[in-house]
Amino acid sequence: MFAGAFMMGAKDRLLPPSVPFRFFVTATLLHVVGWAVLAAGAGDLAGFTGGLGLPLAGLHVITLGVLAMAGMGAAFQMLPVATRRQLGPVWACHLTWVLFTPGVIILSLGLATGLVWALHGGATLTVAGLALFGVLIGRNLMQVSDLPGVTRHAWLAVASLAVLAGLGLLLVVDIDRGFLPDRAAFAAAHAMVAGYGFMGMLAMGFSYVLIPMFVLSQGVPDAVGKRTALLSAVALVLGVGGALAGLGPVSALGALVGLGTVFVYLKAQAAVLKGRMRKRLETFFRLVKAAWVVLPLSLLAAIALALGLAPDITAPLWGLLLVFGWLLSFVTGILQRIMPFLASMHSGANGGKPVLLSHLVWEPALTVHVLCHGGAILLLAVGLSLKSPPVLTAGAVLGLVGAVSFASFTWVMMRRYLAYENAKNKGTP
Amino acid sequence: MAEVMESSGREAGGPPGWLAQALDAPILDVRPSLADGEDPLGLILDAAEGVEFGGFLVIDAPFNPSPLRRVLAARGFSSYGRRLTSAHWRVFFHMDGGQDWERDAEIEMLPEGALTWSEEDGLHVDVRKLTPPLPMLAILRLIDGHPELAALVVHHERLPQFLIPELAERGWRVVRSTEDFADVRLWLEKAG
Repeated sequence: MFAGAFMMGAKDRLLPPSVPFRFFVTATLLHVVGWAVLAAGAGDLAGFTGGLGLPLAGLHVITLGVLAMAGMGAAFQMLPVATRRQLGPVWACHLTWVLFTPGVIILSLGLATGLVWALHGGATLTVAGLALFGVLIGRNLMQVSDLPGVTRHAWLAVASLAVLAGLGLLLVVDIDRGFLPDRAAFAAAHAMVAGYGFMGMLAMGFSYVLIPMFVLSQGVPDAVGKRTALLSAVALVLGVGGALAGLGPVSALGALVGLGTVFVYLKAQAAVLKGRMRKRLETFFRLVKAAWVVLPLSLLAAIALALGLAPDITAPLWGLLLVFGWLLSFVTGILQRIMPFLASMHSGANGGKPVLLSHLVWEPALTVHVLCHGGAILLLAVGLSLKSPPVLTAGAVLGLVGAVSFASFTWVMMRRYLAYENAKNKGTP
Repeated sequence: MAEVMESSGREAGGPPGWLAQALDAPILDVRPSLADGEDPLGLILDAAEGVEFGGFLVIDAPFNPSPLRRVLAARGFSSYGRRLTSAHWRVFFHMDGGQDWERDAEIEMLPEGALTWSEEDGLHVDVRKLTPPLPMLAILRLIDGHPELAALVVHHERLPQFLIPELAERGWRVVRSTEDFADVRLWLEKAG
């Protein structure tokens, strides 16, 4: 045993459940809000390539309120345990939520209505929350010399976070000042660095830890993680740089490198699945698998868009595949599994009998969520391709039904978890 | 100079035949890193990755790095250790498929690289220095693969929080734990 490892101590850097669960529950609620806003603005989705209104607001409720919110909760909980290094004071994690949550809501209000005070105030709070998150994660990563497959993706996520926040602020200020030379190019770069950079790198890095843990299989070799991190960095620089410079073919080349990255990543995950001990994969894995199918499709759409092929169709289709098909499928799939898992873990963390995972999971609600989510993506893809408002509305409503079902699962799970904890504290579990 | 020899793969009564070649290999001294409170495992594993079949790796450490030897055994290295002083060990590693390790062992090595052996208080498993999630896999493999097993002693390097839900689903739990230098020990039991 090495002294360095001993100095880490046996005490895990496990943050209290109030940290991750406030992020997860908020993400679950905003998931419903996001789909509801999209359903309300579904008539404007056809041919959507940007501009204020309900589609942009709904998109940001999903990207910031669900994807980033869940990513933060997961990172706060998982990263210090995985790296065995302190992440930061608990109050700072809570402060992140306090800044970020109202920021997202106010910013989304501004994006829907064009209210300048909401745009500026919301963006400021949102970026403040993201910046604090980035600092906390960065401090943790700076102490880590091992786990390169995970930490390099996390570093890329932190770097992307800085870029996306900067670009986002520029875009918000540009709404009433109009100083950007090519707003569409900045918006595309912002979307790329947010979707593939910040959230994509978090998803890819954490999946190297979470997927083997959930399916009980050997982890992904560090060499593979290093390779995908390097390829991702190249793809992001080409993609974002090409967009900012107005060089479509360079962005397309970036997406092509991204496809190569995805191939390496998925090959590694296929090996993980092949060697797994848990033969029956739970409901959550349907969403994860669907996300893995859509991820390369989103890059193909990105190539078509970068090359200028039917942008009125490929632009919204790319956004759908990236945000809803890849990221939202993956994140809600992981949430389906990680929330009851963490609840069970925390209930047994002090040596008591933990609540069973199977007791926490309300399976029918998860199945409904999966089916509705998949149906919604399909309908929205058809609706965007045909530019059909009724089909788009039907897709968004189906997504809303799925989100409500997922929220009901979260409600039941939290109620069972808290009831168990209360009973345990009274000595009658 | 006091010299204690410990080998996984020596010829009966003496050092292994490959030692003569290993003596010429450069030495990676991890004592300064450890003195600075740094974990040199990544450095060592990087060095080990560069060793081709038939090659050697030599580590100087302030103690016998048993968990490291087991980790590298799982990667195909036989090892031979010498205690040069009370606070200085030199361990020679030979990339030969690690076959000697198994031949020499009083213990059984699981596919994850964990070691199991029996003591008076039951079956023990050492999962130290394994990369997550391998410790969890090794423990669950034992539990799932031995329905007759009612208790298990785990040698870990930290409290494995992520294991708790999986144990609970199988009707197992941690009944006791102790924390010593380099050994967080957990007593697991199947609920009656």
